[in-house]
Amino acid sequence: MNYKNKNLEKLSKKIDSLEDKKKYNNYNKKEGGAGFGFKISTEIIAALVVGVGIGLIVDNYLNTKPFGLIIFFIFGALAGFLNVYRVMRRIEKQR
Amino acid sequence: MAAKDSPLKQFEIDTISEIEISGYNLSFTNSSFAMFITVLVITLFLTLSVNTKSIIPSRWQLISELMYNFIAQLLSDTVGENGKKYFPFVFSLFMFVLVGNMIGMIPYQFTFTSHIIVTFALAAVVFIGVTILGFFNHGLKFFSFFVIPGVPFYMHPLLIPIEVISYLSRPISLSVRLFANMLAGHTLLKVFAGFVVTMPFFTGAFPLAFIVALTGLEVLIAFLQAYVFAILTCLYINDAYHLH
Repeated sequence: MNYKNKNLEKLSKKIDSLEDKKKYNNYNKKEGGAGFGFKISTEIIAALVVGVGIGLIVDNYLNTKPFGLIIFFIFGALAGFLNVYRVMRRIEKQR
Repeated sequence: MAAKDSPLKQFEIDTISEIEISGYNLSFTNSSFAMFITVLVITLFLTLSVNTKSIIPSRWQLISELMYNFIAQLLSDTVGENGKKYFPFVFSLFMFVLVGNMIGMIPYQFTFTSHIIVTFALAAVVFIGVTILGFFNHGLKFFSFFVIPGVPFYMHPLLIPIEVISYLSRPISLSVRLFANMLAGHTLLKVFAGFVVTMPFFTGAFPLAFIVALTGLEVLIAFLQAYVFAILTCLYINDAYHLH
């Protein structure tokens, strides 16, 4: 009887530790530094590319040579920060 | 263009059979061949693995059921009840990217996801589809997606362009992420493979060991990027249903 109980206790301890490990793994389920950097940098770059593209198109059609580019570059940069903020919020929510 | 032993040689497109239709170059290239193989592998794998349909699943059936559940769970977690309709779309997208990445991990095989035009085409399909879906669901009210609620009205001229640019940057960030990861990983593998040959005596063993570790990491990244592509598609579909 005593022997059996001991074995059961051992088993339950083992299960607990495994579950803890699983929880820990889930908690730590994030990419390494490079993946994280890629994520953030692509967000900023993508928004900047779109901003500069719109700026150049606006300049081309409205003949407002430098101003469209300048204004939309700034908008693009701000949109990039907004993207990064959203990504960070999503990552925080996952934790 | 690139030198004979350049690490970028692996990304070159070779024409297998030339096809030209009304001035457009529609040649069957090694990239198309890789895509063809990918679709073939997916179709064969999924049909053959569930062919027996036993209650106690075989290993192959277990793998395909695992993938099915993975995407189904992803959709129901992010989109909810509405998401079931989009399962075929997200699942095909996920499998195409995943198997394409994995086939690229086999030595001497071509990785079509390392070309930005391929990933951008995939992302553009998602983007255009989601935009149409948004207009279909909400009509012109979809434009209110760009208006952040609870912001004083004089801030709107500043915030609406930012939101629009943020929305337009989605397909670019979606495609660049996949493409850059695959390109960087495969180039790194080739660069270190070059070290193995050129380093003197037995020191080439160190980069070789590193390549083994890196290959494992690349397989992880191949899966992770397919997963990221699928989950972002789900999030965009969700946005098309629930504005804000």
